[in-house]
Amino acid sequence: MNIDRIIREIELFDGLKETEVDEITAICRERRLQPGELLARQGERGDEMYIITEGFVEVLLGGRGENPPRVIVNLGPGQVTGEMALLDQGPRSATVRAVSDPTIVQTIQRQAFEALCRKNTQIGYIVLRNLALDLVFKLRHRNLVDR
Amino acid sequence: MAVYKVSFVVTGTDHPGAIRNQDHQPQPGERVQIGADWVEVLEALELAPQRGGFHYFHVTCRLLSTEERPDAPMSTGGR
Repeated sequence: MNIDRIIREIELFDGLKETEVDEITAICRERRLQPGELLARQGERGDEMYIITEGFVEVLLGGRGENPPRVIVNLGPGQVTGEMALLDQGPRSATVRAVSDPTIVQTIQRQAFEALCRKNTQIGYIVLRNLALDLVFKLRHRNLVDR
Repeated sequence: MAVYKVSFVVTGTDHPGAIRNQDHQPQPGERVQIGADWVEVLEALELAPQRGGFHYFHVTCRLLSTEERPDAPMSTGGR
């Protein structure tokens, strides 16, 4: 499957025109991970977000002292992770680890993303709105798990 | 193009569940691999109204035992 098709089926980019999708794909970089490989580590600085296009990652929290880190959610194809550090430039809020063999992600760097949003504010508006909707969905999922 | 964004919540365990996109509406009885685990869908409900080609679903499911997994040796297979 080519990158254009993958991007079109990801909610984060829903509403973009074809030419705008092309601009997004131009800043995406594919990365393949082996099971157990870390994509992000809680507490560390991060300047990338990731879109999972194949396989699953697990998102882990904690792990301080004697308590082992616990998985809070598994994210599969079409899901975004690492977006919080991209938005607020704070440290990674969780550790993200590949589960499947292979796990394939598209990586978007903050600098490239912000430059694109400045150049084309329509892309910026749509993607940031979709990011907010994605965070809402994750919150709804979390609420249902905790019910 | 329809994309179904699905929140999987696994009942009866401390499994954290999963979120993934798929190309079909989740159905009770369907067996799905989430990460390293296999689950069976018990109930599927629309979580939020459709937006464009995207549908939002919440699924309650149960964890399949090693013997029940579609990839288990001598399995009769799932859907």
